[in-house]
Amino acid sequence: MTKNSGASPQDNQQQDHEPHDQRDPRHALNSLNKSLDKATRMVTQGLVKGFGNERWQSLTIPLLAIFLSLLTISVVILIFGNNPFDVFRGLLAGAGWWPKENYGGGQSQLTDLVGLATTLTPLLFGALGVVVALRAGLFNIGVAGQMILAAFLATVLVGYSDMTAWLARPLVFLIAIAVGALAGALIGFLKYRFNIHEVVSSIMLNNIFMLTVSYFITSSHQDPVSRNMRAASADARLLTEPVQLGEASARLPVGFLLALIMAFLLWFFLTKTKQGFEMTAVGKSPKAAQYAGIKIGRTVIVAMAISGAMGGLAGVTHYMASVPSIAPGVLPGVGFDAIAVAFLGNAHPLGAILASTLIATLVSGATYMSSIVGVRQEIAALITGMILLFTACGGYLRSWLDVKKRSLADANANTDDNATKGGDDA
Amino acid sequence: MSILNVNYAAILVDGLSFALPLLIIAIGGIYSERSGIVNLALEGLLGFGAFAGALFVASTVGLFATGSDLPMYLSFAFAALGGALFAVIHAVLCIKFMANQVISGVVINILSVALTGFLTSTINATFFGEASERFMLQTSPRWDIPFLMEIPIIGAAFTRVYPFMFIILIVATFFWYLLYKTKFGLRVRAAGDNPQALDAAGVNVSRVRFGAVVISGALAGIGGMSFAYSISTNFSPAIYMGYGFLAIAALIFGNWRIVPTFAACLVFGLTRSAAFQLLPVFDASAAVIDLAMTAPFVVTLLLLAFFGRSNKAPRALGELYDKSKR
Amino acid sequence: MAEQEILLEVKGVTKRFPGIVACDDVSLDIRKGEIYALLGENGAGKSTLASMIFGLYQPDEGQIFMRGKEAQIDSPNEAVALDIGMVHQHFKLISNYTVTQNIILGDEPKKRALGIFPYVDIKNAEKRIEELSKEYGLEVDPSAVISDLGVSVQQRVEILKMLYRDAELLIFDEPTAMLTPQEIESLLQIIKNLRDQGKTVIFITHKLDEVMEVCDRCAILVRGKLVDVSETKNTSPAELAAKMVGRDINFSAKRPTKAIGKTVLEVQDLRVEDSSGFPKVNDVSFEIRAGEIFAIAGVSGSGQTELADAVAGLTKVKKGSIRLNDCDLAKLNVRKRCESGIAYIPEDRQSVGLVLDFSLDQNLALKSYYQAPFCTSSLLNPTAFAERAEKLIEDFDIRCARGCKTTTREMSGGNQQKAIVGREIDQDADLLIFVQPTRGLDIGAIMAIRERILDERDKGKAILLISLELDEVMDLADTIGVMYAGQMLKVAPASTLTTNKVGEYMMGVTEND
Repeated sequence: MTKNSGASPQDNQQQDHEPHDQRDPRHALNSLNKSLDKATRMVTQGLVKGFGNERWQSLTIPLLAIFLSLLTISVVILIFGNNPFDVFRGLLAGAGWWPKENYGGGQSQLTDLVGLATTLTPLLFGALGVVVALRAGLFNIGVAGQMILAAFLATVLVGYSDMTAWLARPLVFLIAIAVGALAGALIGFLKYRFNIHEVVSSIMLNNIFMLTVSYFITSSHQDPVSRNMRAASADARLLTEPVQLGEASARLPVGFLLALIMAFLLWFFLTKTKQGFEMTAVGKSPKAAQYAGIKIGRTVIVAMAISGAMGGLAGVTHYMASVPSIAPGVLPGVGFDAIAVAFLGNAHPLGAILASTLIATLVSGATYMSSIVGVRQEIAALITGMILLFTACGGYLRSWLDVKKRSLADANANTDDNATKGGDDA
Repeated sequence: MSILNVNYAAILVDGLSFALPLLIIAIGGIYSERSGIVNLALEGLLGFGAFAGALFVASTVGLFATGSDLPMYLSFAFAALGGALFAVIHAVLCIKFMANQVISGVVINILSVALTGFLTSTINATFFGEASERFMLQTSPRWDIPFLMEIPIIGAAFTRVYPFMFIILIVATFFWYLLYKTKFGLRVRAAGDNPQALDAAGVNVSRVRFGAVVISGALAGIGGMSFAYSISTNFSPAIYMGYGFLAIAALIFGNWRIVPTFAACLVFGLTRSAAFQLLPVFDASAAVIDLAMTAPFVVTLLLLAFFGRSNKAPRALGELYDKSKR
Repeated sequence: MAEQEILLEVKGVTKRFPGIVACDDVSLDIRKGEIYALLGENGAGKSTLASMIFGLYQPDEGQIFMRGKEAQIDSPNEAVALDIGMVHQHFKLISNYTVTQNIILGDEPKKRALGIFPYVDIKNAEKRIEELSKEYGLEVDPSAVISDLGVSVQQRVEILKMLYRDAELLIFDEPTAMLTPQEIESLLQIIKNLRDQGKTVIFITHKLDEVMEVCDRCAILVRGKLVDVSETKNTSPAELAAKMVGRDINFSAKRPTKAIGKTVLEVQDLRVEDSSGFPKVNDVSFEIRAGEIFAIAGVSGSGQTELADAVAGLTKVKKGSIRLNDCDLAKLNVRKRCESGIAYIPEDRQSVGLVLDFSLDQNLALKSYYQAPFCTSSLLNPTAFAERAEKLIEDFDIRCARGCKTTTREMSGGNQQKAIVGREIDQDADLLIFVQPTRGLDIGAIMAIRERILDERDKGKAILLISLELDEVMDLADTIGVMYAGQMLKVAPASTLTTNKVGEYMMGVTEND
């Protein structure tokens, strides 16, 4: 975009000049090169101006990634003969950000927003889990397994009992935290003690947890109609009694506020406390951390335990609120979307809030969009994938901007006073 | 049912029919990782390869004589092509854009699931006019190998074999030769150990790594297509069963070398098929199949825990190679 | 002297890096069949110039002519095509490949099996390499694996690499830095052989005696500028040294040792093994007293780093004892050892000494972040971080673009090292361990750090100095220990040892006593 606006006037100018230069094609080529150079420089300057500010890069670069992916997706949608704007509006309407044409009984834009919050909650918890692990230099793709295990045990232990809500719900949360933390710590332990890469072990554990849970569901907890796990009692579920919202009514997600609070708590923990400092040091450079006297093993295991606890919370807020119960044999997609959210949110707990809102919008708007526009709802996942793809290039853009900024600054300053830098470390 | 009635031939054949696709995917991973590029994208690559192969089969229905095996053979070529094309994304992200290789791998996986899911249902709806999220494949023929099948005990491995097992054996042998005997292989292995040295020897490191990653995509594609034929005779998002990650575990266990990796794949394959075949012996209910399916994953973890420690990854694995920084 | 054929000519070459002009309008010509020295201090631009001739960098201005023709050398490939070869200071070898595989990499001889399948013809290559090594007196086993070979043999492999590609102009970048005096002697002989066989050599160094011994002519670079070219036979070391402005030639005049006090560190029968049980440090015993610099000399990989890591608690000890101020350290972890009085400047400043992505103030508190005033009841105190950082930046002259919030990754190597040294000295520990404290730094930083080491000694600290540079050991040490293959071969007062004697011990040669 910027590229075109920068290049075209130059090109026009070039064509104006061409007749004069025709006798000497080399000259023409030279001046074409020059104007191309100039155009490139203008584009570079524009990009540096727009995205070069490091303070805002964690915001501007993801926004650029989102924009580029929407652009790409629009092309795909056009190829299949639909209007991209209809698709995007449909997604927004489905998620409650935009009024729908008409609402069914007891539903309103507000209830759609509540639905969005319900979808968002496990996504945010899951993303926080990934973020904590990333800070400690670990890649927890075991969120899906932690989710399923925690939700299964919470359902069996609390959901099938006749506890009252004020006892059952806190217990569900506690079980989720405990089970998730243990499952996460196991990954950390395997990494520390046996040097098994956490990606490999968490994939293995995902499958082991999922298949084992499936076994117990099909052998003793299956709902004969839905073939899923029998749902937990209403008192144990993490949704309130229906609350009147104007004309409509909705069940509010119990975990939503907790997820937001948790994001802030984790931000505080990671940046303001001794343990957070240690975790970050281990993540950035394990060797230096060891040299500084930090206990690597303990830090890794603790980080994974916290990460797993978040995964557990994601599990119960997913399977005991946003969907009815566990389907045997399937890992929850939320566990993987959480990775997308964490990266998109720049591995920052507060960034995860923004990113999970975006991804949750795509997830919860997809069905409605598909029903009114007729584009397959898988497009939502595709958008997520594209956003991630472009986000992955963000680091490159960042360093590219940095180099360009320096060379521009060098060209502007054009001084060579500080001879202290460079020269060594050849 | 007693332990004597177990179909040992089936354990062997099923084990091999699982181990060989796993092997070819793992060889793909070996190429990428020996060149210094972490490849967690195998899962996505095998899925996209299988998608491409199945798309070819689905869109050429009627072009070939009924009962012809030709589309099946061609589907492997297209699977390799599809996997290779998708691997280009990984290569570009890791080599050109200097992205974190682990992140890039995960991105490829997520994108692959999303893209194949979307394209399969959309193409089915748009072009074939049916609401389905899978491409059907024809049933693969199965061969009995004359003479070899007569050999006692191991002869069982030569009955009712899939043609893809031969394709894989041939392809695997070729890529073993390429990695260990040729100029290209020498350079791939050098790129993963000391890219600076390779660069100083006047070889373009990026190009070597690019080639290795594309090869890993092609091989993963072939493996994915094989799974599509052996496990489900169709392509659907159910192809994403974590086998790409199992292949990674296999190559780590095999110390990034092809022959030991083959052994690791055999262990997984045979554990899995044995678990299946032995179930009836213990008179277990159908639900137990889920438990049995955990066997390869549990075995992987245990093996890695006990033997993985001494394994040494290629020295420059995951290291960004920026020519401008020396 | 009669006009000789000019092989390579450099005309007005300039190369700038952000913030520095590494090469400033340098012009020189190199005659066929001579040994031409590029002499200058660290950071004078010698390596940059050589890198441009070898195509690793491209000059911003100026031209390079090879055999009278202008050459656009954009990559090492083109340099090799022009018959230019280079031995880099840090060898470019694949550690798990054989000598032959390393030499042929990039230029592999091909053969076909059954007339179809191409494969790399290792056998013929081995034969060719054996011939080459005989011809030039470079003894090496073509089928040996690189990681099993010592530094000087690896260097021969690098030389063979050039000869295998028929290089005519051979560039040696600081080839003697990692070698013992005896190895240097034989390398210089090899270089002379090469010249006598008709090769042309560019020899980059900062050591005057080597220039005097082998070179025909010598160019002196100072801060990127060419200041002089002279025939070595018409000059003297003193004259050359005078032209290398900026070097304090009198540095080797030692500061006298002040009072040596009680024993601070006592190491007894120390044994450290690697993961396969091979002894890296084998029954080593020594002691360091307050106010003493105990320097360990030895070729790379003799067990020095493992010894330092063992004292600091970063490596497991198999056997033996380490006592600090009469306290056994065996049971103490890294942090406890720090607290009991060990400061450690590690060999790898970038991946061990610093968390590169942390800001300077965080790095300066890397050893004390958990104590008051930096941390009270688990909460960090950013003001305390900043205050301490400002003080150290001031005291140790650490230059950083954005004050204490600068990310250490952005700082130059010299300033990174100053930050580490500052942090460690600030701990006021009784024992300071310096491993390769000046490697790769420019002359200013080297001087600053050496001064600091001497200051600390004079304050009565015990200092363990480990350096691969024999000059540094000889300049600074009060007592020298020489390690060879994990053993402490000799411990003696520095005044009783000559450079050559230490060199012999470094090679494992012991007297017949």
